[in-house]
Amino acid sequence: MLDMIIIDGLSFALPLFIMAIGGIYSEKSGITNLALEGFQGFGAFTGAIAVVWLSGIFGPSSQVPYYAGFVCAVIGGGIFALLHALLCIRFKADQVISGVVMNILAMALTSFLTKSINASLFGNTANKFMLGASTRITIPGLSEIPVIGAVFRDIYPFEIIIVVVALVMWYVLYRTVYGMRLRACGDNPHSADAAGINVYAVRTVAVFISGCLSGIAGLAFAYSVSANFSPDIYLGYGYLSIAALIFGNWSILPSLGACLIFGFARSGGAAIINQLGLPSGYNDLVRILPYVLTLLLLVFFSKHNHSPRALGQIYDKGQR
Amino acid sequence: MAEPIVELRHITKRFPGIVANDDVSLSINKGEIFAVLGENGAGKSTLVSMLFGMYEPDEGEIFIRGKRERIDSPRYATQLSIGMVHQEFRLVSNYTVTENIILGLEPKRKFLGLLPYVDIRKANNDITELSERYGLKINPEDVIENLNVASMQKVEILKMLYREAEILIFDEPTAVLTPQEIKALLLVLDGLRDYGKTIILITHKLNEIKAIADRCAIMNRGKLVSILDVKTTSTDEMARQMVGHEISFTTEKKPAKFGDVVLKVADMSVKSITGYEAVKGASFEIHSGEVFALAGVSGNGQNELADAIAGLMPCSGGSVILNGQDITRASVREHIEAGIAYIPEDRHNVGLVLDFTLRDNFPLRQYYSPAFSSKGVISESAFNEHGQKLLERYDIRSSQGGATITRSMSGGNQQKAIIAREVDMRTPLIIFMQPTRGLDAGAVMNIHRQIVAERDRGAAVLLISLDLDEIMDCADTIGVIYNGSINKIAPASELSVDDIGLYMMGVGKTA
Amino acid sequence: MKAQKFTLSCLAIIISLLFGALILWLMGKDPIAAYMNLLQGSGLMEKAKYAGRQSMFTDFMSFIDAMTPMIFASLSVALALKGGFFNIGVSGQMMAAGITAHILAGFIPSRILVVIAGFLAGALIGALIGWLKYRFNVSEVVSSIMLNSILMYLITFYINTFYINPVSRQSKSIVDAARLTISGFRWEKLKVDIALAFPLAIITALILQWVLNRTTYGYEVKAVGLSPRAAYYAGMNVNRTSLLTMTFSGALAGLAGVSYFCGYLAAIQPGTTPSMGFDAIAVSLLGGNNPIGCVLASFLITVISKGTVYMSSRQHIEPEIASLITAFILTFASCSAVLDRRKKK
Repeated sequence: MLDMIIIDGLSFALPLFIMAIGGIYSEKSGITNLALEGFQGFGAFTGAIAVVWLSGIFGPSSQVPYYAGFVCAVIGGGIFALLHALLCIRFKADQVISGVVMNILAMALTSFLTKSINASLFGNTANKFMLGASTRITIPGLSEIPVIGAVFRDIYPFEIIIVVVALVMWYVLYRTVYGMRLRACGDNPHSADAAGINVYAVRTVAVFISGCLSGIAGLAFAYSVSANFSPDIYLGYGYLSIAALIFGNWSILPSLGACLIFGFARSGGAAIINQLGLPSGYNDLVRILPYVLTLLLLVFFSKHNHSPRALGQIYDKGQR
Repeated sequence: MAEPIVELRHITKRFPGIVANDDVSLSINKGEIFAVLGENGAGKSTLVSMLFGMYEPDEGEIFIRGKRERIDSPRYATQLSIGMVHQEFRLVSNYTVTENIILGLEPKRKFLGLLPYVDIRKANNDITELSERYGLKINPEDVIENLNVASMQKVEILKMLYREAEILIFDEPTAVLTPQEIKALLLVLDGLRDYGKTIILITHKLNEIKAIADRCAIMNRGKLVSILDVKTTSTDEMARQMVGHEISFTTEKKPAKFGDVVLKVADMSVKSITGYEAVKGASFEIHSGEVFALAGVSGNGQNELADAIAGLMPCSGGSVILNGQDITRASVREHIEAGIAYIPEDRHNVGLVLDFTLRDNFPLRQYYSPAFSSKGVISESAFNEHGQKLLERYDIRSSQGGATITRSMSGGNQQKAIIAREVDMRTPLIIFMQPTRGLDAGAVMNIHRQIVAERDRGAAVLLISLDLDEIMDCADTIGVIYNGSINKIAPASELSVDDIGLYMMGVGKTA
Repeated sequence: MKAQKFTLSCLAIIISLLFGALILWLMGKDPIAAYMNLLQGSGLMEKAKYAGRQSMFTDFMSFIDAMTPMIFASLSVALALKGGFFNIGVSGQMMAAGITAHILAGFIPSRILVVIAGFLAGALIGALIGWLKYRFNVSEVVSSIMLNSILMYLITFYINTFYINPVSRQSKSIVDAARLTISGFRWEKLKVDIALAFPLAIITALILQWVLNRTTYGYEVKAVGLSPRAAYYAGMNVNRTSLLTMTFSGALAGLAGVSYFCGYLAAIQPGTTPSMGFDAIAVSLLGGNNPIGCVLASFLITVISKGTVYMSSRQHIEPEIASLITAFILTFASCSAVLDRRKKK
C-alpha cells in the first residue's frame, strides 16, 4: 500500500512541480500567472493531437508518438503562453484578469477544436483524443531497496523527463545570466532597464517558458489521470500549482516540497479510503485535502511571504 | 584649450502643452565639472535625459567626442560611455551590491567548460578593487535593502564606473544627503575629475556649484540663460539669473506670538511596519502660533512620528495630547475630529484617491459629516459647492474644474489641492510632511507663505522636512531627529545649518 | 469618461463578433444567418416555425430566465472589483448557495426561504474570503480558487452520496413550490417559463447603482478599492468596508446561485463548477463594472450562450463556438481596459 502511495503521489506531484516552476519563471520576472491552468490544457491538447496523429503513422506499439507528443505539448503550451505575454506586456492588460481570460479562452478553444478536428480529420463526433496507456519503467536494482525503492518502480517516462527538465530550469534561474536578469526584472524593472536589459524580452521569454513547462504537465496529466485528452483536463491543477509556488515562497526547492505534500496527501487519502472499503464517492473528500492544506498554510504563512516586488505591476518604459 | 567632449546644438524638446527645452546649445569639455543650474521645471532634467537616451530631441543635434550621435536608448548611451545617477535610485533591492553593479554586464565562466554561469566570486573581487580605487568604500556582498541612502548612491556611482563611463551625469545627487554626506560626495566628484572623468551635475543648490564646479549653465523655463565661469561669478549673480529676477530667499514673516500648548508629545515610541522601534521616546510641545520644524535625514523615524501623531500608526509607548485631550489610542477619524490636519508625504497613494475627481477628493476626510451627507446619503450639491469654493479660494488649476480626474493634474496642483483641503478644515494643529518635494520655486514660496499664514492664524504647525533651506525659512523652533530620537530642540535663531547637520548625523548629542 | 468606456466595450464586442464571423466563414457557414439564429434562439427574432405551445414569446421568456442568474453573478464581480477585490470565486459561492437552498427547501418548500438561504450562504463564503484577506493577508484570488475546489468536491460528495437522482446522475430536483422559475406555465396556448427572480435582479442592479454613487458607503467602497491607503488616511474603516464588500459580493453570487440551480435549472450537476462564475467576469468587464452596464452586458452574453443551441442545430456547428466567441469578447475587453488607462494620462 505504501508503494502505491509513493508511486501515485509522485506521478501527480511531479507534473504539478514542473508547472509550478513555470509559474515561478513567470512571476519572478514580474508577470502574475493565473493562466497555468489554460497553458497546461492547451499544451495537452497540442500534444494529444500529435500523439493521435503519429500513432496512426508509427503504429500503436511505437514510442515515437509518446516523446513527440511531449515535444508538441511544450511547443503548444509555449505558443499559447505568448498570448498571455502579448496581453500583459504589449497591451498592458491587468495580469490577473488576463490570466483568467487565458484559462477561459484555452478551455473554449480546445473543446471547440477537439470536436472540429475529430469531425473533420477522424470522422467521429467524440470530444476527446484517446492516448492509450503509457508504458511504465522500473529501474532494476534501485527499485529493490525497501520502502523508498518504490520511487523507482512503475515510473511514467514523463517523470524522468520532468526531473531532468527541472534540474536544468533550476540551474538556469539561479546560476546563469538570463536567470539573474529575470529575477531583477521581477524586483525592479527600471533598474534592469537602466542596466541595458530588455525587460519586455526577458519577461516574454519567461512567460513562454512557463507555457512550455505547463505543456509538459498537461500531457502528463492527460496520460496519468485519464489516458485521454478531453475538456475534463481542466480540473484546477494549474491553480493547485500556483498554490504550491506561493507556498514555496517563489523558490523552486520549497515548491517541490509543497507539490510532494499535495501528491502524497492525495494518494495517501485514496489509499486509506480503499483500505477502509468506503465507496469511491469518498475520493472527492480526499481531493479536498491539498486545497484545505494550502488555505490553512497560507493563513499561517502569508505574513512572512515575499512575492516578487514588481509582481503584477504594469511596466511602462516611458513612465518614470 | 580643452577639447569639447559633449556638444549640444540647437536642442528643442516639446511635451504636450510645454516646451521643455527651447533651442539649447552648449559644449562641455573633457575633464571638467559642468553644473546645470535651474529651478524645478526649468528643463535641466529633460536636457540631460536626452544625453542619456531617455528621450530624443525633437530638433537639434548631439555630438559626442566630435561625432554626431543619435542616442536613442540608455543602452546606446552606455556604449558611448555615458553614465547617469538618477534622482530615484534604480537598484534591485534583494540583490547584493555586486549583483546590482554587474547586472547587464555579468562576468561569465563555464562550468566544466560547458555550462555557462555568472562568476560572482570574480565580480566581488573586481568591485572591491574598483571601490577602493575611487574611494567609495562599500562591502560588495551587502544586500541593497539593508543600506542607507548614501551607500546606495555609491552603488549607483560604481555601476557607472564598472561600465567604464567617461561622462558621468548626476541628477540632484545631494537632495537626499546630510550636509556631511554632501561634503564626502563632493570630494568623490573631485577625485573623479582627477581621474579625467567629465562630470555633469544638475542641482539647484548654489553653494555646491560654487564649491566644486568649473563652469555652470543656467536654465530658466526651458531656455539657456547663460554659461558662467564659476570662479569669477558670485552666487547672488547666479541666483538672479536662475530665477530671472531678484528674489529674496526668505519668506517674510512677523515675529511669532506663541499661545497655549496645543500639542504635547511625551516619551512617544512607535514601531515601524517591519517591527523595529522607529521612534524612541520622542518628547516635544508645539504652541498655538508656532511653527515647529523637525529636521533629519530621511528614514530616521519622521514618517512614523507624523503618522502616529495623525493617528495612522499606533504608539507603542508614551502619549499624545491635543489641547488637553489624550488622543494616544484614538482612531484616525477621532484624530481628524479632535482637530489634526495632515498633509502626508506620499500625495499619490495616501493624500489623494488619484482616480477620483477633484470634487470627490475634497471632502475625503469629512464626507460623513452632516455638512456633506445625511443618514448615509451623500449631498451632491454640498460636494459641488465645497469643490467650487476651494478651487477659487486656493487658486487650483484644473482642466475641467471639479470634474477633473485628479490623476491628470500636475504635481503642484495636486499638492495645492491637498493643502487646500486640510488647511480649510481650520484645525488647531496642522502637520506638513515634506510639503514641497518636487515642486518648483514659485509653488514652494507659496506653500511657505501658507505655512506662515496658518501660524499667524493661531494654529500650531508641525513641519517635517528633509530640506534644510525650507526648515530655516519657516521654523520658529527647530527639532532634530536622529535614529528615532529627538536629540536637539532649540529656537530657530540659535541654530546654524552646520549645527543642524551635525545633530542630523547624531554627532551633536554630546556637545 | 463613461461614454468612453461604453465605446470601448462596444468596440470589443464588434471586433469579437467579426472574429467569430471569420471563423464561421472559414468553416463554410454563413455568418449572418448564424448570428440571426442566435437572435432567433433567444426569442428576439421570429423563427421560421415553432413546435406546439411555443412561440417567439416563449423563447424570449426562457431567455430572460437564463439571463437572470448572469445579472446577479456579474453584479457580484462588479461590486467586488469596485471595492478592490477580484472575486473569482463566484462559481463556488453559487454552488454553496444552490445546495443550501436545495436542502432547506426539502424541509420547508418556500421561495422566500430559497432566496434568503442563497443570499446568506453566498454572503458567508464572501465574508470568509474577506476575513482571510484582512486578518491573515491571504490573497482573495488564491483563497477563492481554493474555496471553489473545496466547495465543488464537498458538494459533489454530498450529492453523490446522499442526494443523487440515479437516472439523471444529477442531484434530485427542487420541489416546484420552492423553485424560482415557474416552468411550463400555461398561458393562452403557450407553455411559458417565468423567471420570478428577474424583477429582483433588475431592482438589485438599480439599488447597487444608487448605493455606489449616492451613499457614503458607496463612497467608501470606491475609495478603498482605488486606494486603500488613502481611504485609511481619510479615517475610513478599511477592514470593515472590505469585509462588507466581499460579504455583499458573495451574497449577490448566492442570489445568482439560487436563480441558477433553483430556478433556471432545478438540479445541481456534481463534479463541475458552473462556468457562469467565470463568464460573469467577462460580463462585468464588458459592463465597465457599472451595475447598469452589467445588465446590458448580461443581455448580450446570454444572447450568445442561449441562442447557440438553435444556431448549432440549424448550421451544424459545434455549440462550443458560443463559449469561443464569449472568450474572444473577454480577451478584447481585457485589452480595452488599457486603452482606457492610457487615455487618462
